[in-house]
Amino acid sequence: MSGLARLHAVALVGLEPHRVRIECARTTGLPGLRLVGLPDAAVREAADRVRTAIEHRGFTWPQERLVINLAPADLPKVGSSFDLPLALVVLAASGQLPAAALGGLWAAGELGLDGSLRSVAGLLPAASGAQRFGARRLMVPACAAAEAALVPGLSVLPAHDLRDAAQLLVGARAPRPVEARPPVSAPDGPDLAEVRGQLLARRAVELAAAGGHHLLLSGPPGCGKTMLAQRLHGLLPPLPPAAALEVAAIHSLAGERDPDRPLSLVPPLREPHHGASLAALIGGGSGVPRPGELSLAHHGLLLLDELLETPRHVLDALRQPLERGFVVLSRARARVTYPARVQLVAATNPCPCGHLGSPVRGCNCRPDRVERYRARLSGPLLDRLDLHVEVPPVDRAQLLGPADGEPTAVVARRVQRARAAAAGRWGPGALVARADPAQVRATARPAAVRCLVAALDRLSGSARGVDRALRVARTIADLDACDHIEVAHVEEALAYRLPMVGASP
Amino acid sequence: MSALTTLERACAEVAAPGTDPGVLAALLAWSVLPRRTPDALRRQVRDDPTLTPSTLAGTPEELRRRVVAGLGRAALLSGAQAADAVVAAWRDREVRVAVLGDPAYPDRLAEGWPQLDPPVLLAVRGRTQLDTPAVAIVGSRRPSGYGTAIAAWLAEAAGAAGVRVVSGGALGIDAAAHRAALAVGGRTDVVLGCGHAVAYPRGHAAPGGLFAQLLGAGGVLVSELLPWEPPRPGPIRARNRIVAGLTDVVVVVEGGARSGALLTAGAAAERGRTVLAVPGDVRAPGSVAPHRLLAEGADPCTGPDDLLAVVQAASCPMTAPTSCAGPGTVSDPPHAGAAAAVVSVLPAPLHAELARRWPRPARIDDLAAACELPVGPLLAALTRARVAGELAEDADGVRLRRQPGGRPRPGAGPGA
Repeated sequence: MSGLARLHAVALVGLEPHRVRIECARTTGLPGLRLVGLPDAAVREAADRVRTAIEHRGFTWPQERLVINLAPADLPKVGSSFDLPLALVVLAASGQLPAAALGGLWAAGELGLDGSLRSVAGLLPAASGAQRFGARRLMVPACAAAEAALVPGLSVLPAHDLRDAAQLLVGARAPRPVEARPPVSAPDGPDLAEVRGQLLARRAVELAAAGGHHLLLSGPPGCGKTMLAQRLHGLLPPLPPAAALEVAAIHSLAGERDPDRPLSLVPPLREPHHGASLAALIGGGSGVPRPGELSLAHHGLLLLDELLETPRHVLDALRQPLERGFVVLSRARARVTYPARVQLVAATNPCPCGHLGSPVRGCNCRPDRVERYRARLSGPLLDRLDLHVEVPPVDRAQLLGPADGEPTAVVARRVQRARAAAAGRWGPGALVARADPAQVRATARPAAVRCLVAALDRLSGSARGVDRALRVARTIADLDACDHIEVAHVEEALAYRLPMVGASP
Repeated sequence: MSALTTLERACAEVAAPGTDPGVLAALLAWSVLPRRTPDALRRQVRDDPTLTPSTLAGTPEELRRRVVAGLGRAALLSGAQAADAVVAAWRDREVRVAVLGDPAYPDRLAEGWPQLDPPVLLAVRGRTQLDTPAVAIVGSRRPSGYGTAIAAWLAEAAGAAGVRVVSGGALGIDAAAHRAALAVGGRTDVVLGCGHAVAYPRGHAAPGGLFAQLLGAGGVLVSELLPWEPPRPGPIRARNRIVAGLTDVVVVVEGGARSGALLTAGAAAERGRTVLAVPGDVRAPGSVAPHRLLAEGADPCTGPDDLLAVVQAASCPMTAPTSCAGPGTVSDPPHAGAAAAVVSVLPAPLHAELARRWPRPARIDDLAAACELPVGPLLAALTRARVAGELAEDADGVRLRRQPGGRPRPGAGPGA
């Protein structure tokens, strides 16, 4: 009894790929299939799919006992991506495919009962994992070939069904080359020129885009907070291909990506509802936790509207990932790390009813409720939001007047220049918001730092937030094309702090 | 009996100068029992014709006998024990308690007994006379920037002229007035709507908050309630009459249709004090109370001069001429000259624009548009001015903290 066939596949634990060797042997005993090596329910069900698919496409199911081992045996294997490799090893073990045809082959894909191949979630991270493990050839469902082809240095074998796959492997048919489609960028999003008035908020949006700062917009309903946040998205420069691939991998894993689309260089924009659960926001779920909105917004914008309506425990859970740039989800069965390098744009009403500070519309909230409402914001989360801006309501005359603002293209050019200045100083891809405080401080004039400390002490009674203000000042200096942070930059940076209710005027 | 004696000894530590600890002890033992309120105490004292304010102070034995007889032994014992905790709470906060009719009890608050219901017990934290010229500046807890600015303007002038600024210590107009008075080194007093041991409003009662600041500046906190009484609507409304009773004139700056400021104004009118109302924007919800008062015959308050003139007229006839220097020289308010002399750190066009709008706050967007300045330099200039103390920030914008010099009076025209 020869009949030992081998093939490689990738098991994902979160985004982290693991090499899985799939071995199939024929043994004596009653005909049947035994799967060993910690398969989960979906993998165990594969046995039935594989058998039907094999018979449906004109192959025969061997009348012997088959043992399939998924090695390493202690790694949990999840999902339906093992269907195709299982079918291939069975065919090879039963002599319907030459064993040599599987040499150096990796495969992933789900089988239908009729033997057709379907795409699976997480194909992109699996493909890039395979490439890292040294795979040369990766067989994938034809419908997902474009996604797998995003991984450089990997030859992709697209197959429509099991019969097609076998023909490709024996050389009866030449593989259709998968053309590498150029990545797309620059969607035609809403333009900044459409924002009327709101000079202060526009400036803050520009700073946020240039420095990657987290932004908090506070204002009554209908003043255009969401509109501004979406325009901030349009100001962000396209992602470098490596970052875009990371983003695509997370979206592929979450099943949120159409595998047929080319790689998008547009930074993601996620707008979860404020009722979103903790698991939806930071990731979670049973078994191996799935990525949440925070990770889906990796390298992009996370827009949280009605920040103060978001439950406290959800806000608190945001703090650590915002600081560290990744989320660690620990469960009994798995510990997963998802990247979460997001730029947070939060919007909130100034009080529960939203009309506080409106000149003509009275606010109905009791003052102590307003205070408590705002107190929810204070503390550690607020400390992480570099820019606080109050957005006033737009008056009717302005709304009906001409759209007089600068268009996105003009502002985006300035943003690009400022980002280039930061990159020139600290290396490619560096953002002011993530720069080391000591490095930022090193570029400030001593007089500016002295002025900052004195002003903070005067205005808030403590020197807290020096580094936060300096970061903003650094971005302002970059927009001004100044090498050093001057006093004027620091003074402007100090203005982006929400006056807290009850603080001494 | 001995419980009451112990209580008497404890009361000696919190009794104001001239107040009989025995009287205080008896009143406390009565007051701490369940369902006893300051109001009930007042009725109890009022309904006995022998216990007018003067006899209250004059015959402690009589009062003690009455209270003891009325209580019964067991109730008295438990009352005395509970009162012990009350006294301890006052003592820890250095509160002194005066009884109606005692020398430490302000005369003008006692006026009109018993029809006007002055409090029988007055717990005062901070040791200062409450009989000097004083003005009440009261208004909404949700003021507009205009209201805050006016309250601060008036309080600043009063504080600089040596006139105490009194109010309920609430958020909004009250707080703006207290802060402005403190900023010019003036004295300012708060009548609490709760006991001394309750932190309300929380931000003001916090360490280093408004209350701590005003105590440090020689102001007082006044309450008619036992130290642990929570802030409830009834007592909060009732304290407004004390605000009126402690002052020569009441100014209502902003308030809604059901504002407590109307109660203060009503109490002031009952006591024959002048009521001034600051006219506001007719569209603003906060203008309802002052406009109603104006319709009912209150005098309009168009600036600090109106206020100080009333204070001077009120305090001069009844006090010695020497103390007339207290309310200050009305014709030359010191703040105006001081502000004019200081050179602003703001760029000239920006300062001119803010001065034109004063006391109305301006939004940053509007300033940028009006001065044709880019937002960045504008914000930098505003920060500089805030650090220099020239600028105040409200819910609806920024404004100059002081009345700009060289401009006669507001009201003459900001059309916006």
